[in-house]
Amino acid sequence: MDTTFALEMEGITKTFPGVKALDEVTLRVKPGTVHALMGENGAGKSTLMKCLFGIYQEDKGIIKLNGKEHRFKDSHDALNQGVSMIHQELSNVPERSVAENLYLGREPLNKFGLIDHKKMNVDTSTLLKDLEINVKPQVRIGSLSISMQQTCEIAKAVSYNASVVVMDEPTSSLTDNEVQHLFKIINQLRDQNVAVIYISHKMEEIFAIADEVSVMRDGQMIGTYDVAEMTNEKLISLMVGRDATLRFPEFKSNVGEVLLKVENLSSPNPRSFQDVCFEVHRGEILGIGGLVGAQRTELMEAIFGVRATSTGKIYVDNDEILNMTPRKAIDHGIGMITEDRRGSGIFPLMNISSNTSIASLKEYLNKLHLLKHKEMKEESVRYNKALRTKTPTMETLIQNLSGGNQQKVIISRWLMTLPDILIMDEPTRGIDVGAKYEIYQIMGQLVEQGKAIIMVSSEMPELIGMSHRVMVLCSGKCTGVLDKSECTQENIMRLATKFM
Amino acid sequence: MEMKKLLNDSKKVATQYTTWVTFVGLLLLLSILTNGQALRWSSIRNLLIAESVRSFAALGVGMIIITKGIDLSIGYVVCLTASVAASFAQNPDYSSAIYAGQSFPLIVPIIAAVAAGGLFGLFNGYLIAYGKLPPFIATLGSMSIAKGLQLIYTRAAVVGSLNQNFKNISQGSVGPVPNLIIYVAIVAFIVWVLLKHTRQGTHFYAIGGNAQAARVSGINVERDLMMVYFYAGLLYGTAGTLLASRLGLANSLTANGMELDAIAAVTVGGVSQNGGVGRVSGMMVGVFTMGLINYGMSFLGVDSYYQQLVKGFIIIVAVYFDMKKYARRA
Repeated sequence: MDTTFALEMEGITKTFPGVKALDEVTLRVKPGTVHALMGENGAGKSTLMKCLFGIYQEDKGIIKLNGKEHRFKDSHDALNQGVSMIHQELSNVPERSVAENLYLGREPLNKFGLIDHKKMNVDTSTLLKDLEINVKPQVRIGSLSISMQQTCEIAKAVSYNASVVVMDEPTSSLTDNEVQHLFKIINQLRDQNVAVIYISHKMEEIFAIADEVSVMRDGQMIGTYDVAEMTNEKLISLMVGRDATLRFPEFKSNVGEVLLKVENLSSPNPRSFQDVCFEVHRGEILGIGGLVGAQRTELMEAIFGVRATSTGKIYVDNDEILNMTPRKAIDHGIGMITEDRRGSGIFPLMNISSNTSIASLKEYLNKLHLLKHKEMKEESVRYNKALRTKTPTMETLIQNLSGGNQQKVIISRWLMTLPDILIMDEPTRGIDVGAKYEIYQIMGQLVEQGKAIIMVSSEMPELIGMSHRVMVLCSGKCTGVLDKSECTQENIMRLATKFM
Repeated sequence: MEMKKLLNDSKKVATQYTTWVTFVGLLLLLSILTNGQALRWSSIRNLLIAESVRSFAALGVGMIIITKGIDLSIGYVVCLTASVAASFAQNPDYSSAIYAGQSFPLIVPIIAAVAAGGLFGLFNGYLIAYGKLPPFIATLGSMSIAKGLQLIYTRAAVVGSLNQNFKNISQGSVGPVPNLIIYVAIVAFIVWVLLKHTRQGTHFYAIGGNAQAARVSGINVERDLMMVYFYAGLLYGTAGTLLASRLGLANSLTANGMELDAIAAVTVGGVSQNGGVGRVSGMMVGVFTMGLINYGMSFLGVDSYYQQLVKGFIIIVAVYFDMKKYARRA
């Protein structure tokens, strides 16, 4: 029996002011295996990985690599010892080339002590070829698509020849084809006896690629299991600590009259959305499907007035709205929850209450045009309570909440504007299973109240499980609208790849 | 255990009120070093008067920094507005007066200076909000423009011999309270109301905190950004008027380096260079902390060259802690 582990983390404890983020957590990973790490947001997965990678210093506990104890001062130290990590967010320097990004911080030097660009490019080229990634090393990385940048990030992690590679949600911006490519790379690593720690919320991926799975909950390790003996339901109930048989809630809404009508909407950019027409009805969830690059977000931003349009018309309640701006959209009862929570959603240094009320200040002015702070706060509390936002106080800075709770605050923000139409771009991205279900419930309640929801989603089950109808985009063009009865993975995929 | 909790709590309070703690600490230090000599009312009163003009500039740039901007043009805009104010307040019989032989009602210099400041603010704001110029560059340019205009307007001469009515604006007092302190109190109150109790003030914090999210929340980011520079300009105009009135003259050296003092003061006062954070109370305490340091060093007989040195270090240390405090949590 093989008793040496590639990585052992034993009794890791980490406390932040007021929170015990990790409580005596033990994780053992065998070499040559893919080890999935699962748990709701805030369960402690990322904190554990940051302790491993030297970004956080654990209060207590031992980390062993191949049986030898190590204590990493920082991530540089971890990399040198053979631990590399793909971070959830892109962490490249967009203005530099692919090769320069891959060798950032460890550039090969020539005999004069200057950077040896030739060697760097040749080595990068070899590496990319090995991994079957079709990119030139000299290309500016910022000019590549997001998914290609992510793929380069994966190549970078591999290039350290590490014995442990951590992948934190590596597929969040990849298309299905690219996910398959990533799995090929992971299999290659497994054959080279590398231990891969794979963090993902996507069940399908875990079952497709992982050998073992460790589940965390509330800063504790629940256990490590063989993936072959796991089922979807078992895994979910381990994560949330209760039986979760339903992935999508039941809701009954009456689909009514047209609330929003979009006619022949085109972007000034010929490569973005062109000639898109659709309608959304009261009490309806319209799903928007498509691959990364299908211009779904761009279309939504244009409807909300964040992005310019060249031709086409937008009608709300049969009134045509000219020169749409976010302010006009809000005044006409449209709300928008953006895809990029950190980039265009939260105000990190503002508290929950201010983050909730920011889009509705207009409704809370007294006779002197001064803000009614008290009422504003009461309403914020009411909405967050209704959505069950978990927070110590309303004065807590939003940046200190987990992703799921941040999302609830942002939904509260938009509900407070009393919208009729809510655009939700990837409403459950980076959110754990339990919170996901709650967000679905909220969406169900909203359409039951007669609101309309437009939901952009890259997750097939979500798109199929939640939508009344699904419109599919491919390369900026609408390739079809599917009714609930026709909504199958195959049909959506067929439309999403029509022009590929 | 108890002790540890107490220590933790006091640490929390200390970080939350760093500005106040620093101010009180310095005050105590100074009174110990001078056996209480430095803390007599007459000295404190002088300190308040000396810092009052700077607080207008600090309030202006404080608001700008909350929106994640910066303003380098302060010193020369104040210099220009002081010269404009002075030019309309010269004694008519003064032969070298800019408008020799003419006398204007008291309101003219005030309106002219505030309008000049406001125009500069709009200019800066337009370039930054609609022209999308980085604030650093836009205000660097307008700094030089303001300096040029001042030299052209005054022909590089001293604008002196101001009439007594104009000088009384700053030099007078109500009972024991100098006028300047009253003006500061009023303006600080107005800025506090603006920042804390109006929609636009809340928008300033939102824009500084996350401009993209502000836009999506329906905030007219461009208009609000332009307005923050406009308001700051009005404050610089006010500062210019009061400075000319207090000094009884204006020349090309008036308010030199005020941008440095104002930016340093609000930074010490807890306005974050990362944007989205800052309070009026902090800005004011920051101004008086910097003033206290200057005043204390003069009182203790520290060479003025060293004072410059100390000021530089204080700015760096303040920003260092600011960056640490608000560094994005990994």
